[in-house]
Amino acid sequence: MNSVKYFTSETWASLRKNIILAVAAIAVVCVSLAILGLVVMGWDMFSNMIKNAERKVGEIDIYLTDLTMEEERQAIQDFIISIPEVDPNTVVYKTKGEALEEFKERFSDQPELWEYIQENPLPNSFELMTKDPKNVGVVVSKIDVESPYRERIEDIRSASSAIEKLENIFDKFRQIGIVAVVALAVVAILLVSVTIQVAIFARRREIGIMKLVGATNWFIRWPFLLEGVFEGLVGSLVAVLVALAVKVWILDRLVENLAFLRLSFSSGLLAVLIPCMLVGGIVIGALGSAYALGRFLEV
Amino acid sequence: MIRMRRVTKVYKGNVFALEDVTLDIEKGEFAFLVGPSGSGKTTFIKLLIKEEEPTQGQIYIADTNIGQMRKWKVPYLRRKMGTVFQDFKLLPHKTVFQNVGYAMEVTGKSRRLIDQQVPEVLKLVGLGHKLDSFPDELSGGEQQRVAIARAFINRPPILLADEPTGNVDPSLAEGIVRLLEKINSGGTTVIMATHDKQIVNAFRKRVIAMENGRIIRDQDRGVYGYE
Repeated sequence: MNSVKYFTSETWASLRKNIILAVAAIAVVCVSLAILGLVVMGWDMFSNMIKNAERKVGEIDIYLTDLTMEEERQAIQDFIISIPEVDPNTVVYKTKGEALEEFKERFSDQPELWEYIQENPLPNSFELMTKDPKNVGVVVSKIDVESPYRERIEDIRSASSAIEKLENIFDKFRQIGIVAVVALAVVAILLVSVTIQVAIFARRREIGIMKLVGATNWFIRWPFLLEGVFEGLVGSLVAVLVALAVKVWILDRLVENLAFLRLSFSSGLLAVLIPCMLVGGIVIGALGSAYALGRFLEV
Repeated sequence: MIRMRRVTKVYKGNVFALEDVTLDIEKGEFAFLVGPSGSGKTTFIKLLIKEEEPTQGQIYIADTNIGQMRKWKVPYLRRKMGTVFQDFKLLPHKTVFQNVGYAMEVTGKSRRLIDQQVPEVLKLVGLGHKLDSFPDELSGGEQQRVAIARAFINRPPILLADEPTGNVDPSLAEGIVRLLEKINSGGTTVIMATHDKQIVNAFRKRVIAMENGRIIRDQDRGVYGYE
């Protein structure tokens, strides 16, 4: 008990003496963890958006060339219906005439869009739904590879290809975020270790005397280790506050105001994220001081 | 208490600080380690507190071969030995009381015990009235008494002193050695490295004379030399 009091008072005295460096180290710990928090929250938000979108999207459009003969069209249709993942009741053949009528109807208030069309540019097409939206990719590739008269199929479109693109973008975003977090964490560890080195140097005389009077190695190390952990913990606490502020003031409003994007947060996200950030700060602090102790404190 | 067997210490650059030293110092002895500077006295003490490792040979303290000692046990070895240096090695921002109490704090003693024993030992060294002074408010002789109090506070069986009178006014040097003698009379083995001829001749203790890292003379109730 006596020793605990001793360690904390030594740690505190050293931090105060070293305040500028300590603040710098705390700031970098804070920035790295705040970015971690933002990346995780952003990622969660967008992946939920994608999930919400995917739930809706089991639709596939297949466009045929104008050269397609009736029996070819029939063969293709039979093939599509025979795919087990396809919901056969949803398979609809739409002629180019029907498609144009539909188009005209949809844009009836903007007749300039279709008034001057001489020749119908829209293709004949199939529309269909998969039984499970998850299988869109499977169905698309089956049609793409196995369909009879493949050369008559001009294009296969599904919303999932758009989602895939989005996913790729968010993957990049996440990768960049992770790299930034790791790089900043390394800088934070080094900066904490610099503050501990300075603290060790400032107290080298005292350390020499401690060894002389028989202090154990851990007795000498503890205050320095605590100093690093304290810096990491303070940094992570501030980072948690920053992340919460960004969530409340910016992200929550984004979710509210861009309702059509169906952004949302997973429930329990913060209950996982906040402890992770705090532990991250403690680990950064401990690693930083352990590095300094290993290199600069020969006990 | 202390046994050295054929101990040699070579520093980098082939400097022989200690060469083939063999000797025994018994429990309760008071020994002067004498010789000019560079004769190996400080290395002798550093080897005993395991601040340096011998290049060859064995050192036993209380029948323990300290060369085979695990690293984590070294602090416990050092608690058996109080050490006093020429430059006192006091912490300037701590009071006399705190400087001495520090040695107890570091070994995990309770606050109650510290509050009780530190004034006792400071009284023993004649500084019972200066508990709250800072080192720079004290004379050299007084600072060395604080250092001795710190070395003795945990009642070690061995007390090592490296030139304890070196930075002390000659008129006060004798008082320092009297203090070490007093501690010795309580059963503590005392080894004092010095090149103070007057002191050695005045006290007539065992004299171990060194030169160029070798023991050239070892006699009971000896004198410094013949020069």
